[in-house]
Parts: sequence; C-alpha cells; structure tokens
Amino acid sequence: MSIVELENVNFQYKGSKDGSLNNINLNIEKGQTVLLCGASGSGKTSIIRLINGLIPHYYSGELEGNITVAGHDVRKTELHELAGTVGTVFQNPRSQFFSVDTDGEIAFGPENIGLEPKEIKSRLNDVVAEMDLDELLGRSIFDLSGGQKQRIACASVAALLPDIILLDEPSSNLDFDSIELLRGTILEWKRQGKTIIISEHRLWYLKDAVDRVIYMENGVMEKEWTGEEFKGLSEEEVKSFKLRPIVLEEELISDIRGESASSFCEAENNIELKDFFFSYKRRPYLLFKKKFKESDGDLLNLNIPALKIPKGKVIGLVGPNGTGKSTFLRCLCGLEGDCKGKIVFDGKTYKGRQILKICYLVMQDVNHQLFTDSVKSEVMLSMKDEDETRCNEILESLGLLEYKDTHPMALSGGQKQRVAIASAIASGAEILLFDEPTSGLDYLHMEKVGELLNELASTGASVIVSTHDPELISECCDYVLGIKHGKAVYLKENKRLS
Amino acid sequence: MKLDPRTKLFMVFVVSLIVMMSATTPFLWAIRLSITLIPIILMILEKKYSSALKFLLAYASALVLTFYFLSEKSEGLIASLLIGYCGIVVQFMPAIITAWYVVRTTKIGEFMSCMQKMHVPDGIAVSLAVVMRFFPTIKEEYSSINDAMRMRGVMLGGGNVLRMFEFRMIPLLFSCVNIGEELSAAAITRGLGGEGKRSSVIELKLGLADYLLMTFLTAATVIFVVFKYFL
Repeated sequence: MSIVELENVNFQYKGSKDGSLNNINLNIEKGQTVLLCGASGSGKTSIIRLINGLIPHYYSGELEGNITVAGHDVRKTELHELAGTVGTVFQNPRSQFFSVDTDGEIAFGPENIGLEPKEIKSRLNDVVAEMDLDELLGRSIFDLSGGQKQRIACASVAALLPDIILLDEPSSNLDFDSIELLRGTILEWKRQGKTIIISEHRLWYLKDAVDRVIYMENGVMEKEWTGEEFKGLSEEEVKSFKLRPIVLEEELISDIRGESASSFCEAENNIELKDFFFSYKRRPYLLFKKKFKESDGDLLNLNIPALKIPKGKVIGLVGPNGTGKSTFLRCLCGLEGDCKGKIVFDGKTYKGRQILKICYLVMQDVNHQLFTDSVKSEVMLSMKDEDETRCNEILESLGLLEYKDTHPMALSGGQKQRVAIASAIASGAEILLFDEPTSGLDYLHMEKVGELLNELASTGASVIVSTHDPELISECCDYVLGIKHGKAVYLKENKRLS
Repeated sequence: MKLDPRTKLFMVFVVSLIVMMSATTPFLWAIRLSITLIPIILMILEKKYSSALKFLLAYASALVLTFYFLSEKSEGLIASLLIGYCGIVVQFMPAIITAWYVVRTTKIGEFMSCMQKMHVPDGIAVSLAVVMRFFPTIKEEYSSINDAMRMRGVMLGGGNVLRMFEFRMIPLLFSCVNIGEELSAAAITRGLGGEGKRSSVIELKLGLADYLLMTFLTAATVIFVVFKYFL
C-alpha cells in the first residue's frame, strides 16, 4: 500500500526558478527507506516539503497535481493535522529548536497536539531510552555540539510517533562519529517499520540502509536505483552523476576522526606556531588575567606549545567536533585575545594584534562577515588604502567582476564565500583559514571550493581548512593536520594527490 | 533557589514600578534601596559575582553623584551627561537585571505553562515565548558578527557612528530573519498553531519561597504607594 503518492506534480516557487519540480510521479510504500540525491537546487528539498505540507502551506508557488500522504490530500489538509503523521528533521540544528532546554524540546510536539502530561512523560522516557539520550537531558540547547543537537532534533520528531519521517540533509553539520549515531537512529526507525525519506549529499553512511535511491536533476526524477544496485555502482559511475562517493577509504576515515598514528612530517618552508594555549574556563582573577601555560594541562582547550605548518600549502584540519578545531582557528586568527601565541614565518614574528592582520578566517556562515551594500565596497573596506585597480584584479581572479555592484546578500552561497575570500586577499592576509567551507554542499560545489583553495595556495597563501568532508581532504589538501583534545596529534602528507 | 515563573513576572513588575517612581523621603529611599538589592542578590545566585560587584559600585557611585554633586540646577555638558548616566544606572539597570535573570532562568516550557495558568491566549503566549527563545540566538549571532568586524578592523566603522551601527545591524537582521523563518517552519511541522488546546508537561506549583517573596513585594509596593501619595 502506498503511503506517499505524488501524481503529476509540477511546482515552481514564487519568484525563483531554483528547486522547481517537473512532472513528478512517485509512490512510496509503507516501511520503505528512500534516498533522494542530486545537486543543490535539483528539487530534493522541494519533494520533502511537498510531503510535509510546507509546500504549499508555508512556501507558496504554483502547484499542480495530486499529493496524498497517509490518506490525507496535502493541499486540503492543515499543517498541524499532519503533525502526528509526518515528522521532519531539518538541515540546520541551529534553527529547528523552539525550546532552549532539551527536555522541553522533546515535549514540545506532543504538547502542541494537546496530549495529557502523563502520556507526554511516558513518550519522553521511551524516546530517551530508545535513543540513549540520558546524558543530554536537562541541558541547554545552546551548549550542545552540532551532533548532539541533531540527536535531540531526531528525538523530538520521534516523540510525535509519526509513521513517516523525513530528513533534509541531516548530516550537513555533523562529524564522522555523529553521522554514525544518526545512521543508528535511522536503522532503528527502519526496524520499527517507519517510512523514511532522506535528502542527502553524503551517501556513504546510507548505502546499507536504503531500499530505493532516486536521483534528481533540474526538478526531474532522472534515475532510480534499488538499494542493491546503488551499492554496486562503481566509483566512476558515481562521479559521472556528480555525486559524493559511496565508499570511503579506511585510512581516510581514521584521518578524519583524528585517530591516525601520531607523526609529524617536515616541509622545507614552514610557518612556526609557538605557545598557543587557550581555555574557555577562566580561572578566578583579581586584577590581571593569568597567562595560560602548558602546565595548565587538562584545563586547556588548546594546548600547542610548538608546531610547524608547511607554508603555501592547503592543510586540512581534522578531528572530531568539540576537540579544538574551531578553538585552534579562532586563536590562530587572533580572535581570542587571551591566547598569547606567536606566529613566525619569513624571519618575522607576529603576535597579539599583528596576527589579526596576517590571518583571516572565512567563517562557516559567511553572512556574518559581509557588511556593505556592494561587492566592490566590501573589498575596498578591507584595504588600508583604497585601490580600485587592485580591487578589480582581485574580483577578476575570483570571477566576481560582473557582480561588482551587486548587494552581497543577493548572491548565492558560493559567491558570498568568494566575496569573503576577496576581502581576505584585499586585507593582505597571508594565512587564510576556512571553517568548514563545504558542509552542506553538493559534489560539484565542493569540488569548486577545493579548486579555489588550491589556487589560493598556488599564489603563495597558506590555507588551513577545517572540515569533516573526507572527499574534500582527498581531493585538495596537501597535508592533513589532526587535532584531538586540543593537541596537534599528527601532520601527514596527503598521498592521494597526484 | 527555584521560583515559579509567575513570581518572577510579578518581581519584574514590582522592581520596575518601584525603581521608576521617584523617592522623595528617606523612608521611601529605604524601600527603593531594599528593592534594588533584589537584582544584586539574583546576580549572586547566578554566580555572576564580578557583575554583581560592578553593578553595586556603579549604583553606589551614581547615588553619591546624585546626592552630593548634582541638583536640579546643575548645568553644563558634563553635568547633563552625568545626570543621564545616573538616571540609567539608578532607574533602569535594576529592572533590566531582573528581566535578564527571568529570561535566563525560565525554561520556555515553564513559561508556556505559566501563561496557560494565567489564561493568556495561546497566540500571545507563543509569540512571547519566541521572543524569549530569540534572545540567546541574537546574542550568538551578534558575537559572531563582532568577531568578523574585529578581524577586518572595522569595529569603529572607520570612525563613522552610523556605519558602526549599520555593519552590525545588517548581517544581524539578515540572519535573524533567516533563522526565524526556518524556526517557524520547523515548529509548524511539529503541530504548533493547531486548533486544539496546547497541553503542558510542566506542572507549576507555588512554593514557600514564592509566597514569601510575593508577600514581601506586595507589601513593599503598598507601603511605597501609600507613603508617597496618601501620607
């Protein structure tokens, strides 16, 4: 029996061509696990939104065709009526929480549909036991890591006991181990007989879980594989569809988890880091702040007494979430004033505020670092002396010249990222830091970012990029730097690059 | 110490009321000062010792300035700036600190349950809850933006006050609008906005501390108003 039926569905968002759907016919049987893959903007998310009713009830546009979900005609059903039937886990853990505390979040859905407090409590206990969430109860959402947030998001969806669970790029902000946990949750749901539909770019963790795989291109269901066929696809075939790989190398996995053997390779030209110590836990002080030292040991969130990093190369910064990658980047670009680290290269020593001038961090959410009303003024803002020819050169090299007068917020995600890079170059930064630049990107866009990083390195800049994407590491990083518990544990040359 | 959200709301109301009304006699000042102790105690309870000390010093210096150096006849730029500063510290800060404590220590679930007990319509309760939910988000976003500005050396907007404001506000507005949109989509798919009555898993009960505090606050208000206007 079909639980989801899409019949001759056409859809176009108001005022945008992206993500429109063309003649979609899809029947999903009860208990099936279906994977939707394909490039960004190919319509994966739109299909998810059709099934949970956000199209047409929340995102409006032109919709034709019939959508039936568990016997409801979605077009005529109010969103809250679907709440007990369809549950959705969204991509961004930051923006799917209504409560500030974890218990409240799991209870939120059942409260909305007006269940008795007793019933809600028993559901809460069931979900917590099933998903092993004891240690996360009673905590503030804002103190959780991305992976922990996503587990709470899954729990709060499960507490409504929906028959159909939709996941929209759920792994985008997760590290390897959190993705493993997510996979466990999906398998548990599958065992319970729930119908699961996942839209995703990362494919390796789903290959054993899915019954059907649908490949979307430009709003059309271009191809369909069974789970078995999908597993059997060769590396070349996967690449030809512009999909991320299905199988990961063992060595790459241990690299990315920060589990590889401790060893440090030497390069000819190095940047030396000295005395990078930092802790978020401040000790009580009266008149002056105490300097962090190596002897502070376990108190430190970052503990790197000395490290040599190859200059003019792309270095992948890896390790599990919450063990110091972001802290390392923040200290390295001088954002944590209490970290008194020194950077030595080309015979010069930089410390304190000088570090801000030679290092530049491109943030994960680039929206935070674009301030002005045109791309050109964005770049000019970074220059000490405004120089229009230099500005044009930089924009030209990043393929942004034609958008010179466009408002940065009107650009696509990738273009915004390049604007941020342009202002980094304009500021004269020689060490460029990237905080997870490819999370949530499809294969093609990830490849582009990789090429861009290599180009930056070829012009002499040193690039350090923190990432959970094994694909990015294997394709563009010259070296891999592993961080664990705030310490540098290995620096390896990437032999996959030919 | 765990207070009921209703007590907390009443506390915000009383603290703002009494601190805003001008005290004219030493007795009224005594009441007002004892009410001002509330936010200081709250900060200590929340282990914000250095903030408590800072506020205490700022408050004391503002009081000393007001009584000994400033009067209604003061004139000149410095005096008027000082009057502004003292007014903010003495009249607004206690209320702001109390409100901060309430937002910080009240869970959204407790707040919703409290609103239901007080028979506030779901629509209003949900909107207020979203506002509460948004404070920490705004703080998070704001600090990321501040980092970005520091990195580019534009903290002071190139000496231009308007740009200093613009550089912070524009990214903040964009990201808050985006987060708000995704947040409400996520909430709706989990049944927010249905016709049925919401239930609440948290059952609120007034404890001894609540009754004591409410009695104290009510008494302080009554005495203050009676002595100020009727005696």
